[in-house]
Amino acid sequence: MKRTHRKSHILLWLILGPVMFATIALAVLNRPAAPVNDALPGPLIEEAR
Amino acid sequence: MSHDYKAVQWTPFKKRFDLWMLCGIVLYIVLFIVLGEVNQPPGESIHPVQALMRATGTLAFLLLTFILCIGPLARMTDRFKPFLYNRRHLGVTTFLIALIHAALVMMWYHGFSETNPFVSLFISNPRYDSLAGFPFEVLGFGALLIMFLMAATSHDFWNANLGPGVWKTLHMGVYLAYALLIAHVALGAIQFEKSPAYVVLLAAGATVVVALHIGTGLAAFRGSDKADTDGWLKVAAVADMQDARAKIVRPSDGEAIAVFRDGNKISAVSNVCRHQGGPLGEGKIVDGCITCPWHGFQYRMEDGQSPPPFTEKIATYATRIIEGVVYVNPEPNAPGTPQTPSQIGAPS
Repeated sequence: MKRTHRKSHILLWLILGPVMFATIALAVLNRPAAPVNDALPGPLIEEAR
Repeated sequence: MSHDYKAVQWTPFKKRFDLWMLCGIVLYIVLFIVLGEVNQPPGESIHPVQALMRATGTLAFLLLTFILCIGPLARMTDRFKPFLYNRRHLGVTTFLIALIHAALVMMWYHGFSETNPFVSLFISNPRYDSLAGFPFEVLGFGALLIMFLMAATSHDFWNANLGPGVWKTLHMGVYLAYALLIAHVALGAIQFEKSPAYVVLLAAGATVVVALHIGTGLAAFRGSDKADTDGWLKVAAVADMQDARAKIVRPSDGEAIAVFRDGNKISAVSNVCRHQGGPLGEGKIVDGCITCPWHGFQYRMEDGQSPPPFTEKIATYATRIIEGVVYVNPEPNAPGTPQTPSQIGAPS
């Protein structure tokens, strides 16, 4: 890989890495208390709630 | 290496690889659906289309994660070089699996209303200001678009016409596709799947990919090799140079240099392959030619030219051996310039 590509490669990962981890962390922390599975029949969802 | 364009380049090795890959994909999908059905709590079941949707979705994520790990892993161990050689087929296959996943989603969730499914994808869930309720399908659609661009331009035709620099820059878009995919799963499946396996899988995948890329990326920048007072760079002791392999040296400016040993001869060329910028110094000498580990492009040691009928040329460098130590002059010769190899054992 050329030097310029190596630089943009590492720069991209230094930006994308924290963004990815922040997204995962926020998504997990904001999960609904009672997960809803759309595949379940209606009564079972109500029961889970 | 190919002199003319062919739709798909299949060597016997690639055919075997593709066959194994296809078997693995079918096995994964079948096992995912069967085990998912067996492990469903009594009274609960999911439609086979939804099971296939999940199987293709998880498979596309796992395959893209693996593809992104191949490059850094191949730098750490030779065991991953065969995967590097077949990475493009793997990438196109991943796009096709993601496309099946997307097609199933579009049909199942957006195909039954009067609204155009593509319009429905963007307007059916307008909660763009919510994290837990974010329209995550749009993120997956974005990742799929990028993967389509990668797959459509994966052929050497595009590499040759766009130029290796533009092609490489374009294909770095796959990193953005992976970030979108992570967000797609985090704001989608993670929000309504009870199993912690999805969270673990997502976090582990992202951690491995990011750690490998940042780790190997930083290692490549770990200092430049210092030149001696007369400007030559020390490479290694002759005894430490493995036959048919190279040592890579990095001048303070300019591209890295691959210094190869072939029997009693030492030669140096640019470390950057003309095809896609592959690291030639991580390849080896095959049939007397330096062979790129990425796609097998070859160059003669003595002049940096690809053997006829190929026309690619890379820069050569002068080498010398003093008291059993190999040195290279960091000033490159013009690509394709003949350069006499240093002889091991010859008087210095």
